[in-house]
Amino acid sequence: MIRIVTLAPFDEGDIAFLSKTLYRSFGIGTEHQGDRALPRKAELPDGRFDALKLLDDAPPVRAYADDKVVYLTDVELANPKGPLGEPPAWGHALQGGERALVSTFRFRPRGVTEASIEVYRRRLARECIHFIGHLWDLHHCYDARCAMHPSWSPSLPEDPEFELDSFCRDKSERRIRLAKT
Amino acid sequence: MRTPGKRERAEKQEEEVPSAGGTIASSSDLKAGDRVVYPKQGVYRVTGLEQKDIAGQRLEFVKMTREEDGATVLVPLGKVATIGLRRVASAEDIEGVFHYLGASYDDPELDWKVRHRDNVERLIAGGVLGVAEVVKGLHSLSRLRPLPAKERELYDSSRHLLVNEISVALGVPAVIAEDYIDYALMPPAGVKLPLKTPPTPVELKGPPWKRKKPAAAEDEDDLGLAELGIDLGALEGAAVGESEDSEEGESEGEKPAEEGSEEQAAVPVKVAPAKVAPPKAPATVKAAKPAKPATAPKPVPAAKKPAPPPRAAPPAKKAAPPPAKKAAPPARKAPPPAKKPAPKKAAPAKKPAKPAKGKKK
Ligand SMILES: [Zn+2]
Ligand SMILES: [Zn+2]
Repeated sequence: MIRIVTLAPFDEGDIAFLSKTLYRSFGIGTEHQGDRALPRKAELPDGRFDALKLLDDAPPVRAYADDKVVYLTDVELANPKGPLGEPPAWGHALQGGERALVSTFRFRPRGVTEASIEVYRRRLARECIHFIGHLWDLHHCYDARCAMHPSWSPSLPEDPEFELDSFCRDKSERRIRLAKT
Repeated sequence: MRTPGKRERAEKQEEEVPSAGGTIASSSDLKAGDRVVYPKQGVYRVTGLEQKDIAGQRLEFVKMTREEDGATVLVPLGKVATIGLRRVASAEDIEGVFHYLGASYDDPELDWKVRHRDNVERLIAGGVLGVAEVVKGLHSLSRLRPLPAKERELYDSSRHLLVNEISVALGVPAVIAEDYIDYALMPPAGVKLPLKTPPTPVELKGPPWKRKKPAAAEDEDDLGLAELGIDLGALEGAAVGESEDSEEGESEGEKPAEEGSEEQAAVPVKVAPAKVAPPKAPATVKAAKPAKPATAPKPVPAAKKPAPPPRAAPPAKKAAPPPAKKAAPPARKAPPPAKKPAPKKAAPAKKPAKPAKGKKK
């Protein structure tokens, strides 16, 4: 079961689209667990939120073994600075773990037109698939059409595909099957 | 963009410090709590020594637990020096890895058999930079054409190894370590990486003629492979995505076994020159699950790898220049002479090459 937890107000239609897409992508039931408070302790002096700490401090929700929980927020996230700089944070996840975080902060504005909302929803689905993919131990994929391609990649179009390519899909299916047994 | 010629490289090689260091030469170098990298398997923590009675004999093993999944492996004391164990990369090594990943790369080996074999060798003997070489090499190649399934698996498992080692070395979560890697490989638009001259990967050790015609499996004997106990067939089949299968809950016994075959194949290749097959220690161990390690050992000299290899290798190459591998592998960087010529961010070059990006829908 994939459990969606919102740490900010989200449109119901957006969440419904997301649930459906996640179910289709992973073949696993998906449910919105409701809203929870954003853990303020993760806020940095510059107003951004430490992605690692935010996920760490995210309010726990009832989940069973093998459940995956994805927290949605809209605040700007920060990653720890790396050897060559700070990679843009679109979310975070515990590789092979149970909790993932996705922020809509870097998305194109949702807007009010059917088209812009569609793009927004697809992006939301893509990022959730990406970070949930990490939970199933998927790594990044060099195929820009795959949801496991880095979210900030220069090869990624503004409105990227939101599915896994066959390599990543097969791999996640194997993992999921193993988890179920 | 041009990479130095083979000869040039060989010379340069001699004045540079080998990149792969920290190889564990003996079980006495290990103590409980140490974190080591078992080539192609991952980062392990030494938990201690363990004795087991096998086939009527009492044998001693070093027991290690893989950090990512808790899988345990027992390595016979006598085999420690031969399986390529090394210390987890230092901060300095890691720094070099990123400058290497971010540098330009335009000299992919096009013969997949040569490439595959070289990559397997790099994973085993190249230290963390060798792992980075495989990831970068295949990543670059993927921008020109889709990788064949087998290499796609190798790419994924190499990435897995690199992510885990960097994660452990830098003390950051794996997902962050992977972001760092890709930030270097494909920086966001507008970002200019603060690159420095990348380190030089360890020169592959097998004699050039050996790598030159890997495709010709029929020539095994001519290549001297038989003598080395190398089974090309096994080599080809191995090396791919083993990290995956071994992941599930295998017991200590099986794991070593699987590894054996791969290592066996790969290791010999690099250590070939020295090839002093320490005959039979393996036999005894064989009974136990550690059957694997037993086979791999042949290449005893492996332990030495860190320092000696680079030196030894170059000469060989010069001697047989023409046939030598097609200059693909070691080429990637052009550092020594110019202070920082090569590093010039690779991004621009790559982008254009990038093939599929449009949405398919
Ligand atoms: Zn990611
Ligand atoms: Zn993929």
